[in-house]
Amino acid sequence: MSAITTSDVLVIGGGIQGASAAYHLAQRGVSVQVLEKDTVSRHASGVNAGGVRLLGRHIAEVAMSKEAMQRWHQLDDELDADTGFRARALINIAADEADLNTLAQREQQMHGLGYFHEVRLNQQELRERLPFVADHCVGGVVSEQDGYAIPFHSTHAFRRAAQRHGALFNEGEQVEQIRRVGNSWMVTTSAGRYQAEHLLNCAGAWGDLISVMIGDNVPMSYSAPMLMITARMPHFATPVVGAVSRPLSFKQFENGTVLIGGGAKGFADRANNRTRLDYKLIANGAKNAIDFFPIMKTASINRMWSGLEGYMPDNLPVLGKSPRAENAYHAFAFSAHGFQLGPVIGEVLADLVTTGESRFDLDPFRINRYDRKVL
Amino acid sequence: MNDLNAMCSEQGFKNSFDIAVIGAGPAGMSAAITATEAGARVIVLDDKPRSGGQIYRNVDASPLKQPEQLGEDYLKGAELTAAFSRCGAEYLSGVNVWHVGDNGEILLSENGETTRLTARQIIIANGAMERPFPIPGWHLPGVMSAGSAQVMLKSDGLVQDDAIFAGTGPLLYLIVAQYIRLGVRVRALVDTTPKANYFDAMAEIAGAFSAPEMLLKGLGLINEIRRAGVTVYKHAHDLAVIGEDKMQGLRFTSGGNTQEVQADHLFLHQGVIPNLNITRALGVEHSWCEQQLCWKPKLNQWGQSSLEHIAVAGDASGIVGADGARLMGRITALKQLQLLSLKSVAECQSDAAADLQKLQKMQRFRKFIDRLYRPIDLHRIPEDDTTVVCRCEERTLADLKQGFELGGRLPDQLKGQTRCGMGPCQGRMCGHTVSELLARWRGDRVADVGYYRLRSPMRLLTLQELSLFSDLTPSNNPQTEVKS
Ligand SMILES: Cc1cc2nc3c(=O)[nH]c(=O)nc-3n(C[C@H](O)[C@H](O)[C@H](O)COP(=O)(O)OP(=O)(O)OC[C@H]3O[C@@H](n4cnc5c(N)ncnc54)[C@H](O)[C@@H]3O)c2cc1C
Repeated sequence: MSAITTSDVLVIGGGIQGASAAYHLAQRGVSVQVLEKDTVSRHASGVNAGGVRLLGRHIAEVAMSKEAMQRWHQLDDELDADTGFRARALINIAADEADLNTLAQREQQMHGLGYFHEVRLNQQELRERLPFVADHCVGGVVSEQDGYAIPFHSTHAFRRAAQRHGALFNEGEQVEQIRRVGNSWMVTTSAGRYQAEHLLNCAGAWGDLISVMIGDNVPMSYSAPMLMITARMPHFATPVVGAVSRPLSFKQFENGTVLIGGGAKGFADRANNRTRLDYKLIANGAKNAIDFFPIMKTASINRMWSGLEGYMPDNLPVLGKSPRAENAYHAFAFSAHGFQLGPVIGEVLADLVTTGESRFDLDPFRINRYDRKVL
Repeated sequence: MNDLNAMCSEQGFKNSFDIAVIGAGPAGMSAAITATEAGARVIVLDDKPRSGGQIYRNVDASPLKQPEQLGEDYLKGAELTAAFSRCGAEYLSGVNVWHVGDNGEILLSENGETTRLTARQIIIANGAMERPFPIPGWHLPGVMSAGSAQVMLKSDGLVQDDAIFAGTGPLLYLIVAQYIRLGVRVRALVDTTPKANYFDAMAEIAGAFSAPEMLLKGLGLINEIRRAGVTVYKHAHDLAVIGEDKMQGLRFTSGGNTQEVQADHLFLHQGVIPNLNITRALGVEHSWCEQQLCWKPKLNQWGQSSLEHIAVAGDASGIVGADGARLMGRITALKQLQLLSLKSVAECQSDAAADLQKLQKMQRFRKFIDRLYRPIDLHRIPEDDTTVVCRCEERTLADLKQGFELGGRLPDQLKGQTRCGMGPCQGRMCGHTVSELLARWRGDRVADVGYYRLRSPMRLLTLQELSLFSDLTPSNNPQTEVKS
């Protein structure tokens, strides 16, 4: 057997969370080895919709998401790279009275907690910002600081910055076995053996499998959200668009192409790294887009794809220390909105490793939050 | 819900067709006839309004007063299309297939709406397309392919007086002869078959005599064109279209001299190659064929591809011609019937034996034809920097060279660098040119260079079309019910 490679920290997974963690740790002088079974950014972090969204975040995530958003606005400078980030207002559209009620309640809740970044729009304000919106749309809510970035470039920007600080990335190495030996972690991959004091599980849609190897059970599921992109269209929307209660989200890039998502899920075959589209559902996504923006009727579809993502039942990630094992930490199952959090997750993990705590409240993200209470 | 297999077994095949055939040319029609005879539930999908494919287009509804002038071969199609229309296969014409999945799923557009269906087995018989002919100025208005001249003729009865026909291959001579029989004036035939091909082809002459009637048919056409008084330039090369905004003439070298012929219309043709968009998007394995200078799906003698449920027949599998396609369609269908347990292995073998033999004999003749009409390098691999390679995105040879220098060593990389192949045709028009150009620049074999990776949707698909979605299941037509 080959020699054992040692480092302070082993990161499992070369997505945006693993790369960001490697960057933050390496920057603090910690030695980091990243293990990625395929290639960096091959999965969710490279094929997602690039939405950098603070609007509509779950209360538990708002503080972290706000911090991440501030980082996004300076990220190109910080990483000395081009992530393709563009600041764009994000608007969620209300299609009926029920949506307006939802927004009113949300506003009350957010204001009560001291958050004021979500601003309601009436029908006229909505129309001013989105002149091509359908007549039946009655209002909406906007977050001014949001935007989008190019996922593949962003993840690689973290990777390269991490490497500049000495982090090592091994691709094509699947973690197959994890053992606790004395005070360190021993990890066996398809190609070699590794030893480290700390272990980070950033394995995305495979996070539950790594958890089990560490000793934590978790009710994670996985799926394959679908996206499509159109050929260039005349410019018709500057803000990024979502909807309060319908599965719709899209953004028009500067070159005129429109990326349409909305959360409809295809079929995931994670053992084989494959996904398959559910055409009936993606057709429904097309219908929603047209319902809200009739101008999109004639847009021609250039490509459709989907990527593998891990989900928790409450659509919140697993983030924090392992309750059962020493010096092991989880950051996975971001439930289709983890890209935006990337810049801050690395900081959270680096804090946990180097100081043992985080300035954010991680209690809602405990891996054992679904464990049955002992009677 | 999360599992691919669950999807295939639960939702997929309960209401599916036994066999879906894509393309209603000679291969597709004969496959459908063979399969329905044995009791399979068959659906045939074709993008044209009527069956017949390229060769038998509109044979049962010709706009021409005397369709027999198109030749005996064309009329032979009438009998096949009649048998096809009686066979009991469900038939969707005028539909655009835009996705074929290895799970048996097919998506298509029809009248601006999307239909999904599933099939246990799929036979791809979507035929051939004309080989690109990238010469300077071939993108100018007035220049068309000879195939499109034939489409205009068969579908609309339209012809173009005083046009130049240029290129090589039996189809070219056939179209010129069809024009002459209809009394259309032809300005010139610029034949690009090089002299050397005649000598090279001699090596395969034995194959030619294995099908003498076919050889005679070819020679007859050329004589017919000469006798009609059409100027024929032989062994022409270095073709270039004259004109700025539209075509005004053709310049070329023939008999050691530079020639210029004035005309407003030029029809180009240098043979046909398999239509790859479906097989490539499906991800079946392909190989480069030196004999036919084209990519082909890798198939066994039953037309089965590297994917279990996918077979390919007719010109889509490699150029076999109408008669060959018809045989292949039948052979392929027989194997599919065996896989569906509608025929035993022994029945399949014995039913196919004679056709397999005939096909083999034809392939020897094909070798001769391929040698004789092999297009020259200069007409496949452009050398003039101004030549447009990608017509959709208007990318010239100079643009591609630059992309290559910037690191575009594989077709997809070059596409990323230059947008060559990114237009609506998805590289159908430039794919072969790009493979061969990169092979030359890299000093590698074409096989090592590969081809574009293609994806669905394979056709232009609007959001509106996709949004109007329905599933299609076999109708309960007693005629097509499975015999027990
Ligand atoms: C189609 C789609 C659209 C999305 N749109 C958005 C959006 O607009 N905005 C947003 O904020 N979020 C979005 N998301 C979610 C976001 O992409 C993810 O939450 C985020 O990328 C997760 O990053 P990650 O690093 O945890 O996971 P990944 O990027 O999946 O990385 C995990 C890595 O771990 C590796 N790995 C797994 N097991 C092993 C092992 N045993 N050994 C070695 N390596 C292993 C995997 O190969 C993988 O590369 C979207 C997701 C998808 C799929």
